[in-house]
Amino acid sequence: MNDDSLRLRLGSLLLLAVLLLAWEAASRFLGLSALVLPAPSVVLRSLWNGLASGYFWPHIRSTAAELGLGLAAGCVVGFAAGVAMAESRLLRGLLMPYVVVSQVIPKLALMPLFIVWFGFGMTSTVVITALICFFPLMENTLTALRQVPPERLELFRMLGASRAQTLWRLKLPSGLPGILAGLRVAVVLALVGAVVGEFIGASKGLGALVIASQGTMDTPLMFAVLVLIAVLGMLVYQATLALERWLLLPYTRIS
Amino acid sequence: MSFLALRGVGYTFPGWPAVVQGVDWTVGEGEFHCLVGRSGCGKTTLLKLAAGLLHPDQGRITFQDAELTAPGPGLGFVFQSPTLLEWCRVIDNVLLPVSLQRRPDPRAADRAQWLLGQLGLAAHARHYPRQLSGGQQSRVALARALILEPALLLLDEPFAALDAITREELQDDLLHMSRERGTTVLFVTHDIAEAVYLADRVAVMDGGRIVEQVGIDLPRPRSAATRTSEAFVRRCAQVRAAMHMDLVAA
Repeated sequence: MNDDSLRLRLGSLLLLAVLLLAWEAASRFLGLSALVLPAPSVVLRSLWNGLASGYFWPHIRSTAAELGLGLAAGCVVGFAAGVAMAESRLLRGLLMPYVVVSQVIPKLALMPLFIVWFGFGMTSTVVITALICFFPLMENTLTALRQVPPERLELFRMLGASRAQTLWRLKLPSGLPGILAGLRVAVVLALVGAVVGEFIGASKGLGALVIASQGTMDTPLMFAVLVLIAVLGMLVYQATLALERWLLLPYTRIS
Repeated sequence: MSFLALRGVGYTFPGWPAVVQGVDWTVGEGEFHCLVGRSGCGKTTLLKLAAGLLHPDQGRITFQDAELTAPGPGLGFVFQSPTLLEWCRVIDNVLLPVSLQRRPDPRAADRAQWLLGQLGLAAHARHYPRQLSGGQQSRVALARALILEPALLLLDEPFAALDAITREELQDDLLHMSRERGTTVLFVTHDIAEAVYLADRVAVMDGGRIVEQVGIDLPRPRSAATRTSEAFVRRCAQVRAAMHMDLVAA
């Protein structure tokens, strides 16, 4: 890391500290009710209590599990569908209109239906998360596999490569950056899917906890849970970035 | 003796005027032929026909006395850009033609390493293509085309994007590697000096036809002295005249 980016990082940390202090000061001296805007110190206490007493952990586990399962299922199916549609003109022509239609339906609007189908709880949330992850992966895989430079395809034809070899050794590696960009989008959307799914369809998980804190008018708890959601999102996103950087190492190394 | 023979070959992309028409051309075994012409004269298409990547609408193409229907391991092809797989190390790029047929054995790996050594890239075998300069990438593409020891090597303006000095070095490398094994070469370029320096015979293409053939009888091996010799300049002038470039210059 060079000097400039280090200074920038320090700067944004400083900005955070200033904002938190201003917030703390505002809620102390303006006499805002903790119901509307609890001071950071109050939120922190609530966060600490929840973590120390073990109250948060089952909810974190539940949301993380839904996120992981939904992400995995959605990405695997989306990737497979993308590959199948890129390779088969027939499938592409047949399924593309349905894909477009299902793209424009807000997926979260289907949650009540899923509760009817899969019941109240984890399954519904996993399904909605998977559904949300499906599209970016499928779209990006489809696009990436169809954008292989024609000269490389000719090279593989020239070398007598089979269709499977062309897919595995040319199209997938050359589409990998695009596919991983799709994964990055999917990860962010998956958290939205899991949390909002829990708003409606679960009694466990961080989303359900937000709704519960709304019901008991415990705004500091709500803020604490939002912090947890943000941290979870950051962790998953950073992990995806690290995975991407590692997989793309040969593509980006220039010296 | 016709190693590669094109007879009355024509090719048309659907909905366009003919790109290649009525081409008769034979390349004898071990000969080095260059095809020169302006952009869009159909020389790349003709090369792809000779490679079996495209099939002629008219006429026939025979390679080693058999009808050419599809590309095969007897053919090596070098594209305009190096078209290396940037996620594979240099050595794996060179071994690609082998590894698409079978698991590369140590002999193939030795040969790849030897080819890289011949091209001055021995130290770069474990690097990735992005870590190499443009000229080095072109050399890797050349090594990849030579790994299966093809009887016929086809090159489509492989050095066009390189600077003049690197280009001359690569021309010498190509001559050295192909003359040593007696590989037959068909080389497409728009650079007259390059064509005359490399070839035994230069074909001038215009509007999809071969309009002139110029035999190049310069002594081999060719070197820097060749480029400045009077005979070289005369041959270049001959090709220029065939391309009607003297009119442009006047």
